[in-house]
Amino acid sequence: MIKIKNVSKIYTINKNNTVTALNNIDLNFKEGELIVLKGASGSGKSTILSLIAALSKPTTGEVIVDDKRISKLPDRFASLYRRENIGFIFQKYNLIPTLSVQKNILLPLVPSNPDEQEAQKKLEIVMKKFNISHKKDAIVRNLSGGEQQRVAIARAHINDPKIIIADEPTANLDEKLSIHFIEILKELKSTNKTIIVATHDPLFFDLDFVDKVIEVYNGNIVS
Amino acid sequence: MINKLKQAINLYLIQYAIDAILRSKSKSLFITIIFTFLTFLLTSIFFITNSVKHELNTTVDALPQITVQKIKAGRHYDIDISIVDEILEITGVEDAIARVWGYYYFENIGVNFTIVGINQYEKQYKDSFEKLIQKVDIDELNENSSMIVGHGVKQAMEKGYYLQNYFNFIKPDGSLKKVNIAGVFDAQTQLESNDMIIISQEQARDIFDISEDMATDIVIKVANPQEIDTIVSKIKLQYPDTRIITKNDLKVSYQNIFDYKSGIFLAIFIISLFTFFMIIYDKSSGLTSEEKKEIGILKAIGWTVDDVLKEKFYESFIISFISYLIGIIFAFIFVYLLQAPLLRDIFVGYSQLKTTFELPFVFDFQTLFLVFFLSVPIYIAATIIPSWKTATLEADEAIR
Amino acid sequence: MILSPEVLSILILDVIFLFFSLIALILSIKIFLNWDINSTSKTQYKLEKQSFLTATIIKYIFAIKLPLFLFFIFTLDKISSVLTGAMCAAGVVDATQYGTYLFILKILNIYIFGFWLLIHHLDIKDEHLSLTKAKFGFFIFAFFIFVSEIILELTMFLAIDIDKMVSCCGTLYSNSATSYISNIFLIDTPILLTLFYGNFIVIVISYFMKKKYIFTLANFFFLIISIISIISFFGTYIYELPTHHCPFCFLQKDYYYVGYFIYTSLFLGTFNGLATGFINKFNISMIFNIIFTLLISAYPIIFYIKNGVWL
Repeated sequence: MIKIKNVSKIYTINKNNTVTALNNIDLNFKEGELIVLKGASGSGKSTILSLIAALSKPTTGEVIVDDKRISKLPDRFASLYRRENIGFIFQKYNLIPTLSVQKNILLPLVPSNPDEQEAQKKLEIVMKKFNISHKKDAIVRNLSGGEQQRVAIARAHINDPKIIIADEPTANLDEKLSIHFIEILKELKSTNKTIIVATHDPLFFDLDFVDKVIEVYNGNIVS
Repeated sequence: MINKLKQAINLYLIQYAIDAILRSKSKSLFITIIFTFLTFLLTSIFFITNSVKHELNTTVDALPQITVQKIKAGRHYDIDISIVDEILEITGVEDAIARVWGYYYFENIGVNFTIVGINQYEKQYKDSFEKLIQKVDIDELNENSSMIVGHGVKQAMEKGYYLQNYFNFIKPDGSLKKVNIAGVFDAQTQLESNDMIIISQEQARDIFDISEDMATDIVIKVANPQEIDTIVSKIKLQYPDTRIITKNDLKVSYQNIFDYKSGIFLAIFIISLFTFFMIIYDKSSGLTSEEKKEIGILKAIGWTVDDVLKEKFYESFIISFISYLIGIIFAFIFVYLLQAPLLRDIFVGYSQLKTTFELPFVFDFQTLFLVFFLSVPIYIAATIIPSWKTATLEADEAIR
Repeated sequence: MILSPEVLSILILDVIFLFFSLIALILSIKIFLNWDINSTSKTQYKLEKQSFLTATIIKYIFAIKLPLFLFFIFTLDKISSVLTGAMCAAGVVDATQYGTYLFILKILNIYIFGFWLLIHHLDIKDEHLSLTKAKFGFFIFAFFIFVSEIILELTMFLAIDIDKMVSCCGTLYSNSATSYISNIFLIDTPILLTLFYGNFIVIVISYFMKKKYIFTLANFFFLIISIISIISFFGTYIYELPTHHCPFCFLQKDYYYVGYFIYTSLFLGTFNGLATGFINKFNISMIFNIIFTLLISAYPIIFYIKNGVWL
């Protein structure tokens, strides 16, 4: 389902200074797989995520998702692709703290101006699924860490995406919340969504429901 | 149909824009206050000029259609009364009346008052004078050496001369002429009557030393206003040493003075607008890392550059439009309820006397549109480049 | 020289337009020369970002231009009270040699900008952004026409001399006028009306048959014929005076500002009609064309009902 072919990503800082984030890598992910990208910060794993999310374009090579070349999409189409197919879970949740739970969850849908009833339906499904319905109107910054986590995950699911991407989801969490997250991950695995987690948290490396663990080191795939 | 409308306006996006504005409260408030103040100032100026213009136009309407003055060596001179009969013979002239009037300078107050001489046996050139001679016996005024004055005159005399009941005019030959104040004048509009003194024609002649066969000028009433210009040219032909002023000339010159004055203020306004433009640009350009991150998140979850631009536009429009509305409302209150303290003096200063008149309520849609075009589009223009810079931030870098 | 507050505000906005359209021009030239959608160079990404700025600027100018045009006419009307001889905007337009050209340019630019936005709308829907280069090349051309309008506007307002007598619309739009306008009156009224309503019927038929290109063409002619018909025939029924042909006077208060409604519906109808060649605007175009035709036809019909005769 996701094919990364001969991809290199080189950042030019100035004339003589370049940084190679990824060096001619090849990857193949099947639909429904749960993949863990393992590596230290700066290893290039986050770059792989942003390539799959069409947030950045490769310097060379191609990224193909569901037989569609997403590597060269212009901004509008890249964003639409993201809106429809990708659920993003960020490092620090990246919710808007002053807005309510439901406004945060609906955020990905806002530009498409959805029909109110439909939007409410989707909202209810997703809030129920992640057990956050009772906090619908609460302001996010007043929630506990665990609740905020669930809101972030709910937001990633509002448009029922095929691919879930999590970038260092447990980096700022204590052990209890990290374990909680892994539990949710286990549940998500059963939904047949393709899940890609980039992390250097060792908790992820020995899970039995993970399909692949790929090690990234200095812009290259190791294992 | 409603659905199509709903589609065109994205309520969710507007809601987000409102939330965004409230999120950066101090910045939004700062801009709103300045902008409201600017629109308030601008609208007030326009309201005041419109009102004063209206007052003035009402005054001008009451003025004679044609005024004929004698010019000698480029200066105004007394005119021969015999001309009146000759003018009456021109076709189309309904009436020609000789006027005896002038300005008297009151030294202690430093102000000119108009003295108008009335002959009650002749037809009056103004309706308000017709009414006056029905109420007041000018002959009696003449016998008792009295005059009727406007409110402003009375007040000024009390202040400057501590006089209640009379005044000593100094005639051109140096002798004094005592005239009693018999009453206070009440005319159609306040602007004109305030600095006026009504007296018998005989007395006026005495004060100004104008002989019986002369007059200050001649005013003409024409049956068909369309023919004013033709009659003017006829008079000009017959009497080449005269200057002829029509009502329309006065109207046009007043309008130009007003446009000139408001032009100055507009110039000042432009400068302040330019400054404001810079402020807005500056304020909207500076993004905190917090704000940059927010844009990164939005793009990561699927917002296009156009979506972000649209949202930023809603923000600008909401702020500028609300400021505009509040500015107008404040201007209304300031000008028409509070009578525009401070500002109105700048515009009414065409007469030395501080007139105490009420600004009439003159509502003009055009003014509202004018202020709109001078404010909202300029604000939005200032936010174009900053909004674009924000919207095209690389999401990739922003979220790390 | 006329520098009333209204004129000043129009000129201020013109300066802003000039400034921003210059930015748009420079960017358009850069994009036109260097755009390569398949390139992954930094320059290309920069150009992609800059294309957003250019599009935003053009959208802004267009959005303000529309209500500004109405305000412009309003301003001309106001100026007419200080110009000797002018009784409506027509006199002001005629006051200088630039007036008529300015007017035509303004309308032309609205159509040109609208057309650009249409292309833009189509372009962004294309994954390959294939129209981008052409779109910006078109803007380079449009820029010069736009700048001409601004220069002409400045020149005209500076050149108006309040002491100079101008012709009233009565002389400008009469049968005896020597201008090209008088040629309009050479056309027989029945023929003109046949053309007008006939054109309208063609529009309606092509609407139901969804024939894009006939619809577009019919709208184009409809615009021209409508304006001629208004001057020659319909105007007289609004004024209820067989000699009053002026197309500006009925924009005034005395006629309840009906002119704005008439012209707005005509322009909205025909512009969308022209756009239908590229994008589906059948419905909007039809609605406004119908509103326009009904509105304009109401005047002679009501006159006939009230008086039993035609003018």
